[in-house]
Amino acid sequence: MSDLVIAHLYPYEMNIYGDTGNVIALRRRLEWRGLGARVDPVPVGAGYDFTAADLVFGGGGQDRSQLQVAEDLQRRSVAIHEAVAAGTVFLTICGTYQLFGRRFLTQDGSEIPGIGVFSMETIGGRKRMIGNVVAATQWGDLVGFENHSGRTLLDPGQAALGRVKKGYGNNETRREEGAVTANCFGTYLHGSLLPKNPGFADELLRRGLSRRHGAGVALEPLDDRLEHLTAAAAARRP
Amino acid sequence: MLRLVLATALGRAAGRLSRLLGRGGSALPGLIAEKVDPRTIERLVAPVRRGVVVVTGTNGKTTTTKMLVGMLEGEGWQVVTNGTGSNLARGIASRLIEVASWKGRVDADVAVFEADEAAVRTLAPRLRPKVIVVTNLARDQLDRYGELATTAAHVAEAVRHAGVAVLNADDPLVAEMAASAPAARFFGGAEAVRRAMPHDSGLYGPGEEAPRPPLDLCLEGAEPEGDGQVIELAAASGERAAAHLRISGPYNGYNAAAAILAAGEMGVPLARAIGSLEETRPAFGRGQVVECRGRRVKLQLVKNPAGFNQAIRLLGALPAGAPVLIAINDLDADGRDVSWLWDARVEDLAGTGHRFGTAGLRAYDMALRLKYAGLDAWSESDFAAALERFLGEVPPGGTGYLVPTYTAMLRFLDLLMPGTSKREAWA
Repeated sequence: MSDLVIAHLYPYEMNIYGDTGNVIALRRRLEWRGLGARVDPVPVGAGYDFTAADLVFGGGGQDRSQLQVAEDLQRRSVAIHEAVAAGTVFLTICGTYQLFGRRFLTQDGSEIPGIGVFSMETIGGRKRMIGNVVAATQWGDLVGFENHSGRTLLDPGQAALGRVKKGYGNNETRREEGAVTANCFGTYLHGSLLPKNPGFADELLRRGLSRRHGAGVALEPLDDRLEHLTAAAAARRP
Repeated sequence: MLRLVLATALGRAAGRLSRLLGRGGSALPGLIAEKVDPRTIERLVAPVRRGVVVVTGTNGKTTTTKMLVGMLEGEGWQVVTNGTGSNLARGIASRLIEVASWKGRVDADVAVFEADEAAVRTLAPRLRPKVIVVTNLARDQLDRYGELATTAAHVAEAVRHAGVAVLNADDPLVAEMAASAPAARFFGGAEAVRRAMPHDSGLYGPGEEAPRPPLDLCLEGAEPEGDGQVIELAAASGERAAAHLRISGPYNGYNAAAAILAAGEMGVPLARAIGSLEETRPAFGRGQVVECRGRRVKLQLVKNPAGFNQAIRLLGALPAGAPVLIAINDLDADGRDVSWLWDARVEDLAGTGHRFGTAGLRAYDMALRLKYAGLDAWSESDFAAALERFLGEVPPGGTGYLVPTYTAMLRFLDLLMPGTSKREAWA
């Protein structure tokens, strides 16, 4: 029984930052409300019809995988742009987030093309931005852990996901974190993000369910005290 | 020569001062000596009669080192080795200074050093090991090492400087290091054992089976027995043997096979290596059992998803209702990023019927991980309070299972056996 179809982009290639936890969180938070989800893994090279998915997730990964993933994304670019235009919900984190921008310029000057869903580009740097992050968003404070050397610069007019209260976010100067275009979200926060940011997890679920079942889907409230305690503890760590 | 004497003397003085100040076995002597003579390590290991063995890899370094030292000492040889928490250059230099004469001479037959997998690239050319053992490679402390491919490249670089490399044939990243080694020996497991040993590369979805090199020593079986296990081994020579280990877990069967091969390269015959192996007790925090108020606390250190999965497998084999305390810290020595908790197969603990508690700076993160795996847990960030509550759940004469990250383990051992962290570590 699936009330929601989740596509997990590159589950084997981009899997080292605990991002699988985001898929676990989405699935569990539906189950706890008596709803069910189907999760479709979409590895590099596999065919996939994005019109079948309500919510697409792509995580962070190994630098080595990122080239493979970048090529694969190019082949899916038109389909992904269509899905974004049709209101499919996307959550992209770290490596996948970067490739949803126009391009990634590596430290040695080579260019990895992205698919340009977000109006932004990322420039590789020497300094790694590592640590716990708190970002203020319209869905409340998001807490996560960042670990990236790419500095992401949003074009004027590209909305950020939030404002950095602690940590770096997109880059070390602008205090911006992530990007949002329609139902497509990008962020550097892993750790995992959704288990300890249940309000944001539910926002993604609500949007995904509305896409399938029509507007105005209400989600029963859950007991999120442990989630909030976890976020508060993480926010206090360096 | 004079420089080395000065380096050794100053290093030693710094160590004495540090101990006087109650700082315990610190890396300070090595740090100071290397300032005075940057070739301290090279000069101090040069006279070691039978040469140096280096043990590296993500998981199993400490246990493998301990097993190997036992085998070499069993030959009546004088062995120098470093302890947990001193597996970087300064720690190794400190240990050498500690055992050196005032003239800067180390009187030993063999040196066995556990080396951090990020530091081994620069250590190997300095130590010029006769044998290097690579236990396995898994992602560990991403915030520190960047990533696995980089670590693998570093270790492969180190392997070049050894006479012979003892490699895990079942870990593709390790097996392919044979290409960099002047000579290679392989250990691995039979089909049934391999199934019980998930590797990091195989943790997610389908991975292709790389052809495995022929084994010099095969772990044919590993069956639990009391607190330990019985392992069966088959050598390429046709020789077969069984060993009763005091240490549980199939991965420790792999560590035993690695130690036996390395000992063999140093001239220890299989039968004698096994005799010593059977006497080896668990290393600090690696399946170690501590008695407390008539109860037993079994410690299983975790630091990455592969190690956590091993601990989960051990817990899954226990009778239902075992008290389990998982303690997660996020200090530098633990890795500041706790994302890895979500990559371990915590779901496999559902249905065990164990009673879970969580502790440490990230106690709530662990409780949340358990919650999303369908398991309830209590949380207590204060270590003393957590230990009290945990011990309260262990019946007199019974056993509780403590699964901590590194610095959390030190905190608990200080509570269970005051003074432990000063003796065992610099952290």
